[in-house]
Amino acid sequence: MQTTVNRLPRNLIIVIALGVLVLVASSMIPAGFFTWLWDRLNVFATVFLGIFVEAVPYLLLGTFASGLVEVFVDRDQMSKWVSNRPAAAAVSGAFMGMLFPVCECGVVPLTRRLFRKGLPLSAGISFLLAAPVLNPIVIFSTASAFGWGQMLFWRFAVSLVIAVVVGLIFSVEQDAGNILRPVLSDHEHDHIHAVAGDSATEKVRKALLITVDEFFDMGRYLILGSMLSAGLQTFIPQSALLAVGSGPILSVLVMLLLAILLSICSTVDSFVALGFVNTFSFGSILSFLVFGPMVDIKSVMMYLQVFKRRAVFYIVVIPFMMSLLTGLIFNYLVR
Amino acid sequence: MKLRLSFDTAAVGLLLVIATLIGVVIFIGEQAGVRVRVDLPEDGIVGPYQTITFTFSEAFDSEMASSLISIDPVHDGYLEWTDTYTLRFTPVQPYQRNVTYRLLVEAGETASGGREVKQAQTWNFTVREPRIVYLRLQEDRYILWSAAADGNDPQPITDETLSVISFDASQDGEFVIFTSRNDQGGVDLWRVSRNGGDASVLLDCGVDRCTTPSVSPDGTRIAYSREAAGPTPDFPFGSPRIWVVDMVNGQDGPVYEDQQVLGYNPVWSPDSNKLASFDGLADTINLIDFQTGEQYLFSSNTGGPIAWSPDSTKMVYTTVEQKEAGIRTQVRLADLSINETITLVGEKDTRDYFYYALSWSSREDRAVLSFRASEDQPTQVLWVFNPGLLDGIVIADDPDYTYYNSPQWDPWGEALLFQQFKLRGEYKPEIGIWQSGMGESKFLIEGFMPQWLP
Repeated sequence: MQTTVNRLPRNLIIVIALGVLVLVASSMIPAGFFTWLWDRLNVFATVFLGIFVEAVPYLLLGTFASGLVEVFVDRDQMSKWVSNRPAAAAVSGAFMGMLFPVCECGVVPLTRRLFRKGLPLSAGISFLLAAPVLNPIVIFSTASAFGWGQMLFWRFAVSLVIAVVVGLIFSVEQDAGNILRPVLSDHEHDHIHAVAGDSATEKVRKALLITVDEFFDMGRYLILGSMLSAGLQTFIPQSALLAVGSGPILSVLVMLLLAILLSICSTVDSFVALGFVNTFSFGSILSFLVFGPMVDIKSVMMYLQVFKRRAVFYIVVIPFMMSLLTGLIFNYLVR
Repeated sequence: MKLRLSFDTAAVGLLLVIATLIGVVIFIGEQAGVRVRVDLPEDGIVGPYQTITFTFSEAFDSEMASSLISIDPVHDGYLEWTDTYTLRFTPVQPYQRNVTYRLLVEAGETASGGREVKQAQTWNFTVREPRIVYLRLQEDRYILWSAAADGNDPQPITDETLSVISFDASQDGEFVIFTSRNDQGGVDLWRVSRNGGDASVLLDCGVDRCTTPSVSPDGTRIAYSREAAGPTPDFPFGSPRIWVVDMVNGQDGPVYEDQQVLGYNPVWSPDSNKLASFDGLADTINLIDFQTGEQYLFSSNTGGPIAWSPDSTKMVYTTVEQKEAGIRTQVRLADLSINETITLVGEKDTRDYFYYALSWSSREDRAVLSFRASEDQPTQVLWVFNPGLLDGIVIADDPDYTYYNSPQWDPWGEALLFQQFKLRGEYKPEIGIWQSGMGESKFLIEGFMPQWLP
């Protein structure tokens, strides 16, 4: 009681001091500041909603696929489907996207689930990186934007190579516990799991419950990532990046940064990239199309819920460096 | 003892390898300088109006076109950047035959990013001989054929599944646009390459009729007449209006917003900026300049062909005037550079010469006009003349032929193709040819509506 009496005046003083500070600051702020801030907030809200609304259906799809995997696939089946040899597992993991057409938002919860079902690290990592590109929806959207030509071919070839290489590197780690966050190996969602003898209806009901749980679990990080991306886009205008984007090295770096910043879903990023065709080189655009689906702000936020920070660092940096190398090879030596 | 690689060692090792490769690529790339590709055929043989595209590996300042590229011998044309990496040379006049051109990209110029063109690069090309394209009736279908300019090596470029109604060859000779009826009773636009066998629908017109295509000389747009279908199949088609479809972005729409402006037989100016068409309802030739947006009207009641001077500043067309002595067909010349229209031919004619077919070559001093030479004969003759001096020679006047029509000059203005029909005997549509210095024209091959395929 005595403590409360002592704190109240101090809090009051802080509030008054803050109020005075705000008043003084606002009198010093230029007249147009609040209009500018309001405009920026409007832009922020629009960009945030754009990213979030675009990504949400794919997150839902991914979590639903995750729920289905949980109730319909058991560990024994998984070990039958995926080879234990690292190279074969990495390659097959990269092509699993053809079966699970999810973009980078949906692939994270699905990969987490597949890991729980015993998917080898190499296969899971290459699936995580390749599935947002190596799936039928993205094949058609890329072909719609760039035609059935070189951009399509190289996007898929380079994505495949990067995914497999990163998968192989992760296969070196024998203990998955050093890569995955502990929550995966403990009892996350243990209250919902299929048991032998469950009817199909019951399995679907459980899959939907898992979907809901996981959607809200991952959705938080999607919102956080979308807000971060929207914030960066609001206060670092694209034009500023594009203005420095000439030259064989800088143009690739700018496009890689744009890929992180824009956080566009891989199903539609080809159409955005098409807008850069007259300004940026083939290599720069290719690196944007390869790296964007693997790493962006919102996906990094979600990776952090599945992998340890050290693993996330490599998941981000190795594809970044390989995409940079690809862009430079095309800019300097090929085209 | 088996040595186990740790995850971190493997990952960092890979990153080091990638970083080294990045360094090597940058080093090699910097040594090589800016690279450039040119879209020439492997054999170096191009069409007379071939646009040549240079693609640089780095962005360049748009001011830098003329110091980067040169062509030897010097040839008139314009250089334009389609984007910061791509420079395009479009010839104004056709490349000369039997001349080897040398393209040179100069060393020493610097791209926007600071890298230099380190080595000068050259490419050689020569121009191919033009072919001709025409229609042949096979059973009940019109098939597109092409042949060498001497009539040899005829070969079909469309097959019997399609019946061609009208067509136009692109100025660079790389493709032909034609029209053919569809299953819905409408007429679609099709595209086929010069070698044929790859015809595909360019524009599905559904129940509408899209006819008389005209390819802009720069090859980027197709103008055509479009007749809208009635509300039910029993209703007649609407009046034709001029539409343009963009080959680059696929945009398609009417040229004139006013639905009362009708149009038929569109004709592009050689610079691809102006489009003339005939409005049969208003008895006018409508002309639109796409660069300035200006529109012009010229009174004409013949619906006859329109021809452009090679510099795109003058247009000739026919019209019929009621004079005291009777009806007189006249050839009018509209000079857009001074906004003046004069009667070029027929002002003081004592009788009607029925001037009809017109074509102006790529040479300012050479055009052709068809007219009825004799009052007693329906036969029309072809007169090759100098529009500036109005002197010339008749090059086709065989009285056995009733009609000479659809004249078209080759890219150099040296040879003329035309349609001819025999007056007597078995009906056979023929294609005739006249070449500069040869006096009379001669029969080339059987067929309809001949055009050059440069």
